[in-house]
Formats: sequence, C-alpha cells, structure tokens
Amino acid sequence: MDPRALKRWGLRALISLGCGAGVWALLLLLQVTENSAEFNRRMPWILLLNTCAVVALGVLLTRKLWQLYRDFQNHVPGSRLTARTVGMFGTLVVVPLLILYLFALEFLNYGIDSWFRVEFKHGLNDALVLSRSALQLRLREQARRTEEFARTIADLSGPDLAVRLDAERRAAQAADVTVYDSSGRALSVSNGANSPLPGRPPAGLLLQIASGRSFVSLETPVDGHATIRTAAPLPKAQGVPPGRFVLTDYDVPQELSRLADAVQNAYSNYGDMSATRRPLKVSFMLTLTLVLLITMLAAVYGAVWSAQRLTRPVKDLIAGTRAVGKGDLETRLPLPSRDEMGFLVHSFNDMTKRLRRSREEAATSRHAVERERERLAVILSRLSSGVLVVDAQLQLRSANQSAGAILGRDLAGMVGQSLVLGTGATTLLAGFVAELRARLDSGEREWREQLSLKDEASARVLLWACTPLPDVGDAARLVIVFDDVTALLNAQRSAAWGEVARRLAHEIKNPLTPIQLSAEQMRRQLLRGLDTQHARILERATHTIVQQVDAIKQMVDAFSEYARAPEVQLARFSLNQLAAEMVELYRLQDTGIDIVIELDPQLPEIEADRGRVRQILANLLSNAIEALSGVGGAAITVRTRWVSTAPVAQAEITISDNGPGFPEDILGRAFEPYVTSKARGTGLGLAIVQRIVEEHGGRISAENLVAGGARVRVLLPATADKRTESRRERA
Amino acid sequence: MATPIRTVRLLTAALLLAALSAHAADPLDGELEIRSAYAVPSHGVIMLSVRVGYPRSDLLSATLKDGVTLSFDLECTVSRHRRLWFDAEAVSLLRHSELSYQVVTDRYLVRNVDSGTQETFQTLEAALERVGTVDEWPIAVDSQLERDEEWQISLRAGVRRGHMPDALRALVFWSDAWHRTSDWYTWTLVR
Repeated sequence: MDPRALKRWGLRALISLGCGAGVWALLLLLQVTENSAEFNRRMPWILLLNTCAVVALGVLLTRKLWQLYRDFQNHVPGSRLTARTVGMFGTLVVVPLLILYLFALEFLNYGIDSWFRVEFKHGLNDALVLSRSALQLRLREQARRTEEFARTIADLSGPDLAVRLDAERRAAQAADVTVYDSSGRALSVSNGANSPLPGRPPAGLLLQIASGRSFVSLETPVDGHATIRTAAPLPKAQGVPPGRFVLTDYDVPQELSRLADAVQNAYSNYGDMSATRRPLKVSFMLTLTLVLLITMLAAVYGAVWSAQRLTRPVKDLIAGTRAVGKGDLETRLPLPSRDEMGFLVHSFNDMTKRLRRSREEAATSRHAVERERERLAVILSRLSSGVLVVDAQLQLRSANQSAGAILGRDLAGMVGQSLVLGTGATTLLAGFVAELRARLDSGEREWREQLSLKDEASARVLLWACTPLPDVGDAARLVIVFDDVTALLNAQRSAAWGEVARRLAHEIKNPLTPIQLSAEQMRRQLLRGLDTQHARILERATHTIVQQVDAIKQMVDAFSEYARAPEVQLARFSLNQLAAEMVELYRLQDTGIDIVIELDPQLPEIEADRGRVRQILANLLSNAIEALSGVGGAAITVRTRWVSTAPVAQAEITISDNGPGFPEDILGRAFEPYVTSKARGTGLGLAIVQRIVEEHGGRISAENLVAGGARVRVLLPATADKRTESRRERA
Repeated sequence: MATPIRTVRLLTAALLLAALSAHAADPLDGELEIRSAYAVPSHGVIMLSVRVGYPRSDLLSATLKDGVTLSFDLECTVSRHRRLWFDAEAVSLLRHSELSYQVVTDRYLVRNVDSGTQETFQTLEAALERVGTVDEWPIAVDSQLERDEEWQISLRAGVRRGHMPDALRALVFWSDAWHRTSDWYTWTLVR
C-alpha cells in the first residue's frame, strides 16, 4: 500500500480510537455511578479509556501543531495564513471555554460551600441540644420514677411483688418491669403480651447497680423504636434477699423518638457531607478540568483541522502562483468546492491555461524568428561580402565570417565590444575603424564608396556601403556591407595589361626581325668597304642594334607570355616532389643562399598544370634570390602545407626570405606588371605568377615579415572541381 | 462572586491538596489487618470465624463524633488454583457493616447492613471490637467445593469513611484517602 495512504488510515484509526474510547468511557461512567460495586470493577477500564482518549487527542494535536510549526519555520506557502487562522479559531474556542470553566469552578465552589453554611451547623447543633435536653429530661423523669418505685417495693416479694410490678407497668406505660437479684437473675417480671422475656442485663448495668447507683440509658433496638432503660437498687428490707434491683424499659414517646431520629440522621448526613466536602470540591474541579482538557484538545484539534481545510485552497493557490512565477504553466489546482474559493481556483486554472497558450504562441513565433535568424546567419556567413552591424559608439553588434576574413581579424569574439578596443595600430581593421569613425564623426550615416586599406603586409581595396537600421531600442545601429575588390581590380588591371602586352607583341615584335636582319645585312654589306675606324663604329652600332632588338624581343616574348591565352594542361602530380626538384635545382646554382625546404607529408597530389606551377616556383625563387643579393646569412624557406580546413581544400606554397622585403610603396601593387624594385627586370615575374595562380583558381598574397624579409603565399585548389568552387567563392 | 484570580488560586490549592492528601494525617491511618481466621465445616456448611483489627485513634473518634459514618467491608473468596489460567472462583462474598456515633444518645451504633441488626456501645473500643469479630459466618455449602480439589480462602478487610453517595464516590476515584483495605489473607481450606 502507498505509505501516504497507510499513514492516512493510521490517523483515521487513531481518531476513531480516541472518539470511541471517550464515548465508551462516558457510557461506563454513567452506568457505574448507579452501582458502586460495578464502579469498583470497571474503574480501571474507565481510567484506561479516558487515558486512551486523552493520549489519542494529545498525539493528534501535537502532531498537527508540530507540523504547523515546521511549516511556519520553513516558510511553506500558506503556513502563516493557516497559523493565523488556527490562532483565531483557537482563541474563539479556548477563550469561551476558559471563561465558562472559571465561572463553573466559581459556581461549583460557591455551591458546595453553601451546603456547609455556619447557620446550618448552628441550627443543627441547636436541634441536637434540644433533642438531648428533651431526652435527658425524659431520662431523668423515668429514672426518678424508677427509684421511687424501687423504694415502694423494697419489702415485697412473691405474688405481691408481681402485682405491684404489673400495676406499675400499666401506670407508667412501661414496656416491661423486672426485678433481678444481684446476679442478674430475673425474680419477677411484668411485660406486655407480645414482649419477650427480658434477658440477662448487660454487665455494665450490673456493675453500676452493684455500686449502689441507679442506671439509665437510651436504647436503640433493632426495630428502631427507642426505649429508656432505667434501673434502681431496692433498699434493704427484712425477709428479702439483698442486692435486688428493678429494671424498667420505657418506650420513648413516638413523636420524641421520631424527632430524635431526625436530628440524628441530619447530624450524620451533615457529618458525612462535611467529610466529603474537600474531596468533593477537588473531585468536581478535577473532573471539570479533565472534561475541559478533553473538550479543549478536541476543539483545538478541530480548529487546526478546520483551518487547514479552509486554507488548503489558498495554499494551493500560493503554490500554484509560485509555480507559475517560475514558469510552470502546467499547474492545475483541484477545485475545492463550488463556492467563491472554487470560483477563484477556477479563474486561476483558466488564467494558467491562457498563459500557457500565449507562451506556446510566443514560443512558436520565437522559433520562427530564430529560424529566420539562422537562415539569415547562414546567408550572411555564405556571403563573400563582409557585413557588420555597429552602433553609434562603434560597438560591434553583429559580424559575419567574411567581414573577419576581409579585415584580417576574428570578429565573432568581439561582438558586444567596441571595435576601437580590438584594433591594432597597423591592421586593416584599424584603418577600417578609423575611416568609419571619421565618417560617423562627420555626421555621415549613409554612403557607398571605395575604401583603400593597407597594413604592414598587404593592401586591400574595399567597396563599402553603410546604411542605418531602423531604431532598435534606444540606440541607432548601422549596417555596413563591404566587399574586397582587390582581386577584381587586380584582375581588371591584369586584363588591361594583357591587352597592352598582346598589342605590343603584335605591333612591336613583327618589325623587330626586319630591323635585326637589316642591321645584319647592313653590317655585312658595308663592313668590307669601310676603314678600320668606321668599320669599328659600324660594328659597334649594328651590334648594339642587334643586341637591343634581342632585348626588345626578349621583352616582347615576356609580354607575349603574360598576354597569351590561358591553356592549362591539368594533370595530377606531387607538389612536394616538384618543390623539392626546384629547390634542388637552385641549390646546384651555388648562389650562397641557404635554401630550406619544409614539406607537409599530409599534402596529397594536386590537379594542376605542372609546367605552370614549376614556373611559379621558378619565378618566386628567382625573385627571392635576386632580393637576397648582398645580404649576409641569406636564407630562403620553401614550405608546403595541406589546408584541408578551408571550405575548399587547398595546397599552400610559401616562399619566404630574410631579405629587405618589399618596399612599402610597392607592397600593395607587387603583382602588377612593371612594378619592381630591381634595377633590371621586366617587372612581369610576379604578375605572371599571379596570372598563373588565378588561372588555377588560386590566390596569392605578399607580405613583409615582422622579423624582416618577405613572404609570398600561394594557395592552389587541390582539384579542378574545387578550383571551380574556389572561383565561385571568390566571385 | 470571587475574582478569576481567586478561582485560579483555589484550583491550584485544590490540586496541591489532592497531591498532598495522601501524606496528611488521616482518621483511617493505623493498623488494618486480618488477625486470625479459620473455617470449619459444620453440618455441610463451611463456617468462617474472623478477627479483624481496625484502626483506632482519637482522630477516628473525633471523626465519628463529627457525624461521619464508617463502612466496613469484609471480602471473602473461595477459589481453586488453575495452571496457565485464571483461578476458578467458587464463592465471592461481601459482609458489610457500618459504625456511627449516635450523637443524641452518646453511644456508638454498629449496624449489620446485610441483616439489618444493630447494636449500641458505650465506647468506640467496644464497637470496633464488635465490628472486627465475625463468628460462624456461613460462606459455602460443602457440596459447592469439590473434595478432590484444593480450595483456598482469601479474606480482605476494608474500611471506608463517610456515607458517600455512589455518584460522589465515582468522582473521587482518584483518591484513596476515603478508604483503606488490608492485604489479602489466604489459606488453604482443610476438611
């Protein structure tokens, strides 16, 4: 069975036991007060039942009060209301009971005392004295008559004596008259027809008569009719035995006897009542106290029970309100009744039901908003454009991945912070923030322009636009969208240069061969007819023409190479192997430069044009070697790395040196044609490299190292399809 | 009418009195015992003779002279011991007599409540002697008591103060100041 149900049944059994014991005890008490023997027999049971009733009530009440106290201490909802109600009910019950009890005690005390008033006692004593006087008078009269009669019969005996005794009995209306000898033997008797013969007188009487004194006493025989017994010694006389005495029993007059009995009974009753006065008062008080205790215990228990029953709906309401306050809208309270409290509970249940519906609707809306937000976040994350949301104080509210990628800083961790705090002195973000602040300070809130940014390593060109968001709360917010158009501009520039190169190759290279042939023809035809001095001049001039034409041819070839149409021959090969071959080739040239190669063993074969990639490595290594001329302890590091974490798996080639690095003024334009820091050179090396990289869908960047030197980083997609994705992503 | 404070004081005093009443001097204090007893079969009837010593004191005399009646009970049971069960009781008798002081006649009255007979005595000593003397009290018929069983006779004397109504006796059940009982005096019946 459920322990709670078991406990409930136990309590009910205890209550039933207490009530049953109380009722049974009362019934027994009613029965035994009419029969003392029965009372003696049943007294232990009565005591046991009364004790059971009191103990049961005490246990129940103590348990209730302890539970109430514990709830009060633990701040259980509704406990204070219950305690207050119990206090109120208890006061309403206990105070009248106590008043009634005190008045009952007082009346009881007064009533019992009134039974024993002094006036009653005095009246009783007076009646007693009066009775005694009347009887004493009667006794003395009878005694004197007996003494006188004794003197008149002193000399009589035999029949004469019997006649005188009979005459005296009749004259004195005595019950019997008897003459005894000194030993107490009856000598002559006169008694009524129905009276028994007198027996031997008591020893005390004989002793008193023997001493010569008369005897008188009041006798109370069995039938309750009092008699006066008198005895007197007969004087000595001639011819009769000495020591005789006469004994006469007189009936006390009926009226006097009745009055004397009444006084005696009243006195005895008064004495008995007086003896029980003290225990009677104490008993009544104790009984009243016991009844009061049982009644009060029962009443207080009833008050506690009623208060708990009354406040249970309120407690439920409080608990329900707290549960609702904590967000539990599933709370349903039991309907206690159909009264006002029931209406209140019903209203509460209805309220929680409505709240639950509202919350479900709000949750549905919130989920929809969340889904939209997630979709927007996905869209933003997939955008190649950077998107920032900032407030007027440049506090970052939101940023997508592309924004961080473009500005070279992880912006996700800066949400909620000021952009100013997260910027360094020379970072792209610093330039971005500085430009943004300048525009905001000037009052601009909406623009769409191109922005050039530059840091220590690279330069970027952004196309950025700003527009304010509708007011959200108390702060105006701005959304800034920007694109890195550096590659686009480079591509445009590269295309322009390609067109120039193609035209140059077409327009310049064609006349060069006739020029060179004409110069050689002129030298062959004229050299033999000239003197030595002029021959030397011609020789030098034609040599110069041929040499410069070769130089121009070489330059035009370079342009031609730069401008040629992309024809990529894709094949799978090991970039590590290619890099190792190229490094080994340059090591053999004995340039005095320490070339270090670090290959990533995880790098798989890539799908690319092996010849073009070799050209990339050759150009970059040549540039590095040229940049290190005259540098002591020169070193070049070639490193490959497999970048599989990026959206598109790529192979990375990094060539770094410890030379002077790129000049500051050309760092941002290092991959443009004719941009070079070398005295000699076409300035197309890095431009061609960039073109090849772009043909493969890769990316190239150049930067100066903080410790000195430059580093060029090339990223090539691992496969052709990835290359397409990479291009799409960059677009 | 008294104030409630007085009532509370009175109640407290009554409670204290009730608690201390057992230790105060009482007219019933004194020796209460069965001094001698014997039972003999006589013509098919078991006759019992008993001598009981009751308390005697000036306080008892004064109490009687105040009008209080003393009640004397003499309980007699004849039972047979049974193993693992209650004793079998063949006879249970109660002899009841009263002693009062006749204030009008200045004599002590002894009344046998069962038979209604009464006697007066000049002195308390004589009256108590009479109450404590029981001769040839028929307690059982011989046939009531099986001969092959061992019967035990038990006697207990009691004295109660006051001629208290039963209703009042029920109310003073908590106190033993109004009555005394002797120990049980038990012996085996010899036939």
